[in-house]
Amino acid sequence: MITRRTFGKYSIGVGALAFPGYARPLRAQGERPTLTVAVDNLWANIAPINGISTTTRRFFPNFYSHLVERDYISDEQGIELKPGLATEWSRDGKVWTLKLREGVKFHNGETMTAEDVAFTLGPERLWGEEPFEPRGKTFTAGFVRVEAVDDLTVEIETAEEDPFIPGKLTGYIGFVVPKAYYLEVGVDAFGQAPVGTGPYSVATFRSGEVLELEAFDEYWDGPPPAARVVWRIVPEFAGRMAGLVSGEFDFMVNIPTDQEPQLESYDGVTVARALASNYPAFAFNTRADPENNPLVDVNLRKGMVQAIDMHAIVQALFGDKTFHPDVPFNFPEYGDYYRPDMENPLPYDPEAAREKIAASGYDGQVLDWHITRQFYPNYEAAAEIMVEMWRQVGVNVRAEILDNFELVYTRPYHMMNMSMSTDFIPGDPYQPLWLDWGPTSSRATAQWKTWDPTPEYLAAGREFEAAITFEERQAAFEKLRQAWLDVYPGYYLWKSVYNWAHRADIEWIARPDGEMRMFGDYLTLPA
Amino acid sequence: MTRFWTIKFLRTILTLWFVVTFAFVVLRTSGDPVVALIGADALPAEIEQFRRQWGLDQPLFVQYLRYVGQMALGEFGTSLRDQRPVIDIIMERLPATLALGLVAYGAALVIGIPAGIAAALRRGRTLDRAIMAFAVFGFALPNFFLGILLILFFSLFLQILPSSGSGTLAHLVMPAITLGTFTAGTLARFTRSAMLEVLDRPYMRAAAAKGVPAWKRVLFHALPNAAIPIVTVIGLNLGQLIAGAIVVETVFGWPGIGRLLVQAVSSRDLAVVQALVLVIAATMVLANLLVDLLYGLLDPRIRGGAR
Repeated sequence: MITRRTFGKYSIGVGALAFPGYARPLRAQGERPTLTVAVDNLWANIAPINGISTTTRRFFPNFYSHLVERDYISDEQGIELKPGLATEWSRDGKVWTLKLREGVKFHNGETMTAEDVAFTLGPERLWGEEPFEPRGKTFTAGFVRVEAVDDLTVEIETAEEDPFIPGKLTGYIGFVVPKAYYLEVGVDAFGQAPVGTGPYSVATFRSGEVLELEAFDEYWDGPPPAARVVWRIVPEFAGRMAGLVSGEFDFMVNIPTDQEPQLESYDGVTVARALASNYPAFAFNTRADPENNPLVDVNLRKGMVQAIDMHAIVQALFGDKTFHPDVPFNFPEYGDYYRPDMENPLPYDPEAAREKIAASGYDGQVLDWHITRQFYPNYEAAAEIMVEMWRQVGVNVRAEILDNFELVYTRPYHMMNMSMSTDFIPGDPYQPLWLDWGPTSSRATAQWKTWDPTPEYLAAGREFEAAITFEERQAAFEKLRQAWLDVYPGYYLWKSVYNWAHRADIEWIARPDGEMRMFGDYLTLPA
Repeated sequence: MTRFWTIKFLRTILTLWFVVTFAFVVLRTSGDPVVALIGADALPAEIEQFRRQWGLDQPLFVQYLRYVGQMALGEFGTSLRDQRPVIDIIMERLPATLALGLVAYGAALVIGIPAGIAAALRRGRTLDRAIMAFAVFGFALPNFFLGILLILFFSLFLQILPSSGSGTLAHLVMPAITLGTFTAGTLARFTRSAMLEVLDRPYMRAAAAKGVPAWKRVLFHALPNAAIPIVTVIGLNLGQLIAGAIVVETVFGWPGIGRLLVQAVSSRDLAVVQALVLVIAATMVLANLLVDLLYGLLDPRIRGGAR
């Protein structure tokens, strides 16, 4: 009988006859291979800050290196920091001093100096009047001076004491760029042909099609294992899957949750997952805009929270692959700040929900929930179940699935989807509680804002910002979280899951930040 | 005759101007390019800088005038999304779409027309039924569905064709089949009915009575007379080919202007969308012009300049 598998075997023979030119090149012993990664998208611009996106994060560390690294190999949460381009760091009051690694080469042959690092973190590029990469301001709040002291020493001075600078340098701002080349070509051209210090250099970049990286053997941590890494856009999931199974690709990204078993059923394919440092959520519009918005009443918001059986929803949609955080901002990746035994102030309880909703005087009016189509996996499915759960307690929510974020941000609405990261300062609750909800955040300032921070929240936040020791900071954090919980302006659903699939004979470690590192301890190719 | 061509030319310019204006209005009223381009969480100050940099802080009418002015001078501007000249971006993608389109269209002509003729000559017989069944299948099956079926069959099961991308002849096979099937099916049906109409005409019987061989009767007597509707369909289908390319290029990751258009629309990259719309509109206008010319060649009554 010809089964699916044997059918494939026979047909390979037919295929060899049909297209002799189309076969993977055989590799000579000891020669480094080319790896092909099928991705859903690249990005228009791949400068470190102007190119910030989930899709660029995947490949950035392959050609840029961080000043400071998060160690996910020895610690699952990546709270431990380890040297990258900076080998030592120390703080004296408001001034941080970074010692740089000696003899680091950029892809264009130049040697990295403190000048390059000072430019990378400086006002001209990130936080001045009209910086080259304006989004840098978000990540450099409080910077007042960045200066090269000698060839391998850089000082960073902040307005207030900031113990978290090394942690912040593990993010996008920590990718070092070569000052001379950057200024010579300008930020836009740099974003098309970037130069970094990573293990691979950019050979070809066509934003709508392909990114080809070549081994950079002068990489400071030794030559990388592959000769080339090709990131090719394959928009259709079926195409990515077919290419991986047939051996055309070595890696693929973004597998719909319900397709994982299908992929796992193929020989020679391994599915990899990582819990991302990111939580899909929704915001309640707590402001009187539209005028008759019943959600200005905190009782209605809390009642709606108690009507959701989120553990059941997560179990149904993801199985055991992720979890629902009972209390917002009590996240496991916060290390010592995390309290596993913390009691949930608003557990699932339809009776209590009904009481609170009645107390709010809600009259059954329709609440519009703006949701971006297919942006967060399983979000629409979860929304459908939640709408039904709310109906059970008498709240009438209409989930409106919209094509893009501009439409989601168009008033009027009562609720909207969003997602928030937790990894700006590793192991610290700064994001999202203060960075993404605080008084300068888009959530509190943009035209589409959903809340006005309360005086209690602002006071606690100022305390939190000024806190230096762990004890002070923890106390301020608890107060800040309580101020948020008192008004409950949003709801966190589950921890995001990233997934990938790759050739089974490759050993690869997935990272929660979504980086696909094709080098170092993260990748082992078959001998 | 000069007046005829002047009117045609002015009408073409007017059409293109309408198209460009329409694209501007639709894109600007359906979403803010800044939010689409620099991300949802950007701070107000960052958004402001971006707006100033790109002149998006000007009133819509000023932006429109500036835009149309540039177009008239043949300047397509710079892409908001990757800050490169639009003309470079399009020229980089155009060859891929042309290659795919020519192969798909060529195959559709070579298969569709003879199949239609054969079906007409064997009207009501098994061959006719078989060809028409395939034709219906060809234009009834949506492009994206056929594309995915082909990927699953040829890449996943047979493993003889690459699932996506471009570069070798093997990469071209599935996209070309997907794109050409619709046109081939349509052409076969139109050719069949056009042929049926002329096969019963008195001049065909006269030719048969004169003893002209069957193949000559079909090729030199029937086909030229049936050609007008076929040429019309060929011209109209050029539009279908471009519309189809948008879907097919997305399914197969084919780096052409179809996918560029999708990406540009979703990120509200106005300059690129406008230029592409213009290119597509110009192609359509040109195709129609060619069809008009072909009418003249095919039918002496039209050539006579009755218009």
